[in-house]
Amino acid sequence: MALLGRIVAPFVILVLALFGVASAARADDRAAVEPIRDWYRLTLELVRHTPTYSPPVASRAFAYLGIAAFEALATGDARLNSLAGQLNGLEPLPSREGGRDYADAVVVQAAMADVVRELFSNTGPTGQRAISSFGKKLQAKAAAGLPAGTVARSEAHGQAIAAHILAWSRGDGGAVVENMGFPATYRPRAAPDAWVPTSLVAQQQAPLLPGWGSNRTFAMPDGSACGIPAPPAYSEDPGSAFYREAAEVYRTVRDLTPEQREIARFWSDDPMLSPTPPGHWISIALQVLEDDGADAARTAEALALLGTGMADAFIGCWHAKFEYDLIRPVTYIHRVIDPKWEPILITPPFPEYPSGHSTQSGAAAAVLAGLFGADRAFEDATHVDDGLPARSYASFWAAAEEAALSRLYGGIHFRAAIERGLEQGRCIGAYVTALRTRN
Amino acid sequence: MTARHTRRLLPLLAAASLLAAAQAAAQEAVVVPRFVEETASSGIDTVYAGEWEYMVGGGTAVFDCDGDRKADALIAGGAGVASLYRNASDVGGTLRFERLESGLEVEGVSGAWPLDVDGDGIQDVVLLRVGENLAMRGLGQCRFERANEAWGFDGGDAWSTAFAATWERGMALPTLAVGNYIDRKEEAFPWGSCTDNSLHRPAGAAAMAFAPPQPLVPSYCALSILFTDWNRSGRPDLRVSNDREYYKGGQEQLWRLAPGEAATVYGPSDGWKSLKIWGMGIASHDVDLDGYPEYFLTSMADNKLQALSDPVAAGGPLPDFKDVAFARGVTAHRPYVGDMVKPSTAWHAQFDDVNNDGRADLFVVKGNVAEMPDFAAEDPNNLLLQKPDGTFLEAGDTAGVASTAIGRGGALADFNLDGRLDMLVVNRWTSAQVWRSAEALPGRWLQLELRQPGGNRDAIGAWIEVRTGDRVQRREVTVGGGHASGQAGWRHFGLGEATSAELRVLWPDGEAGAWQRLDADGFYIVERGRPAVAWTPG
Repeated sequence: MALLGRIVAPFVILVLALFGVASAARADDRAAVEPIRDWYRLTLELVRHTPTYSPPVASRAFAYLGIAAFEALATGDARLNSLAGQLNGLEPLPSREGGRDYADAVVVQAAMADVVRELFSNTGPTGQRAISSFGKKLQAKAAAGLPAGTVARSEAHGQAIAAHILAWSRGDGGAVVENMGFPATYRPRAAPDAWVPTSLVAQQQAPLLPGWGSNRTFAMPDGSACGIPAPPAYSEDPGSAFYREAAEVYRTVRDLTPEQREIARFWSDDPMLSPTPPGHWISIALQVLEDDGADAARTAEALALLGTGMADAFIGCWHAKFEYDLIRPVTYIHRVIDPKWEPILITPPFPEYPSGHSTQSGAAAAVLAGLFGADRAFEDATHVDDGLPARSYASFWAAAEEAALSRLYGGIHFRAAIERGLEQGRCIGAYVTALRTRN
Repeated sequence: MTARHTRRLLPLLAAASLLAAAQAAAQEAVVVPRFVEETASSGIDTVYAGEWEYMVGGGTAVFDCDGDRKADALIAGGAGVASLYRNASDVGGTLRFERLESGLEVEGVSGAWPLDVDGDGIQDVVLLRVGENLAMRGLGQCRFERANEAWGFDGGDAWSTAFAATWERGMALPTLAVGNYIDRKEEAFPWGSCTDNSLHRPAGAAAMAFAPPQPLVPSYCALSILFTDWNRSGRPDLRVSNDREYYKGGQEQLWRLAPGEAATVYGPSDGWKSLKIWGMGIASHDVDLDGYPEYFLTSMADNKLQALSDPVAAGGPLPDFKDVAFARGVTAHRPYVGDMVKPSTAWHAQFDDVNNDGRADLFVVKGNVAEMPDFAAEDPNNLLLQKPDGTFLEAGDTAGVASTAIGRGGALADFNLDGRLDMLVVNRWTSAQVWRSAEALPGRWLQLELRQPGGNRDAIGAWIEVRTGDRVQRREVTVGGGHASGQAGWRHFGLGEATSAELRVLWPDGEAGAWQRLDADGFYIVERGRPAVAWTPG
């Protein structure tokens, strides 16, 4: 019996400890939702107002922020399975001290505060002021009524989680963005199908982030893991597939319906004027999570997976973009069809194929459908503050397909880039849905 | 590459070679003025101080406050007090200023504009502040007193950042526009909190007081506004440059200002095309001599130079502007000295002819917002000289004015009345700086002051036309634009080699004065209905 006791006792203690921790975590769950949602709310603004935050850079930030929140909770919630060992290069996170009290709200608030502070250390004085002010308010709110020792211990643990995530982030190839992502020099490929600058902005005479496709990926093996077939061969022959695709863009923009115009604007998601395409999907996730009354664990899990999927999507998409280095519709149409034609959206300053919004929307839809169901209907009010009314969708894939097609309506992508982009996103999303977040 | 593409490229390559040759020739043809910095000996020592609430603003009002027709300078102090400097420079001599007790020693000033509000012949000053704005009546001899109550001017309690004035037809008092920034009390979430701009119209045609201000809704965090007759209709509208950092659903704006009606904003149905930039300053000038003003809009990274898309459209031009900054070489998007590749941050801008060659040049004040690491920390001010082909050559370094202090406001003005424009720049956290244009220039010049009876004594809204041969330079007389900075006094024209020029004034009510010939290298008082009268300094 004594022997049995010696054998069983550690398991009992372990089970009790797990039960106790899990119970505490669940009890604290409601309080921990608030800092997660609040930091995301601020981050959506910081993305919009920090000049280096083009869509690929934004996707990276959303990934690390979500993973930090998830791991901060996972160290105290036996239901959650850490992503360490599943995401490329992520080593096991610091653990909590056994038998000590932690407040999840304080832990997650401290972790997210430090991650936001570093990822947006380059934001302007207003953003810095907001981060500081926000952090103080959230810290005070999370700590209200708790013993000082619990608060201090929880903060220290949250900071340790953040330090671990941030150290991991610095080696991924995307930590340093110079000149707002535009190389100071760029030698374009001399070929008729090659991308050429489409902007009158001097800074944008080189393409955005040409090396982004080589960054360390999160869940998929590398940027080439979800490669796509080549686009239709360049041709100026009216009978060619390439010409037909260009003619489709030309006709579509010329004959836009009011709804198509509205759709193009709704998914335009321009950097510096919106939370960018990945921020748009984060906003959708926050709306769905709120509608569900999701707890902290569910919220962090969804945001971590969505961020991861979109970050990988931009790496995979950029890998393909610079592999194929394809001309934009506006350049081809001016050259071959109509020198006076103009798209309704601003043509982004980088190669065309595949469509970034399509790839990342495909990945986002794959991840969110995996979490919330393939037929989950929702309303998207992301741009209401900017004067664009909410739109409703029958499913995440319906939204992703509309987002992808919006680039055709906007005149900035050929159909192949849209369709292959969605397929690429679906492939990338599958790597993310294969991650195990629950025990 | 196919033979077809090679054939297509050959003319382009040939054109590029010709363009390069033409550019080289044009560069040789541009005279670079030589400036000498005289800050240390000038007596000017005012810092635009303060933290977050003073990250924008930092202007100067350059005008004659003591009746000697030399340009004096009021410099905003931000969290410190503003300082008025009387110009004590000798004609053609080094720049010297004396700080005066004037009644303008006010804290919280972000920008300042001279304006003879009451038409008494003495310049008044409007002080924009973080807090209540002040209308300061000029008493003469560089003394000023608060006139908010006397003129019914509601100074509000906002973070005010932009100012413009015009005289609507038949009014004794001007119409003022005040641009406001974000709600400074929104510490954690300031985005989307743009305070409404306001329009202060006279209470009546003969009234010497303003009616309560009308809000300009929507407002999008203006950093520069300007009344300007963009389509030469005879009636100025209000151009507003907005900072996209803070607005939601915003854009640049143009407000229609019909007499007796509420201002309405131009929209797509009027032909207006949306533009969203970090709008910080407006400089206007008829750069291409087509009779319509172009607008240089300062921002972060690339700046914009807007020209009407179709100035000869049937029925008159629409408010549809194209960006010609890249084509003309005035994007000024990154520092031109050192090895810094990070983008620039531009604030005040002004067109004027600094080398007297008869072509408008462009002066741009640069400086990091604070310590934004993605933008150039050492960001030299620009002096872009217009070449004969209409493109511009950066000469800030060769002219000796490539200051990398954190600039905000500024002015080009002939402080020592030698016919050459000197330079004043207001800096955040360090003293304002002055440079004297120190070497003789081959080009000739004219400087003009307009006068007319009535409240609008300085003829704000007039167009000055100066003709040399078949070239007509046109300048709209405005109050506003720039960044937090305004000027009154001499209007300077370079004439190139011409020894005389013809002058005509289109007065604000549309009446065209007679053409009259003036000798070059002189100052003239141009009073409506009378021949211009030469004035000799000293």
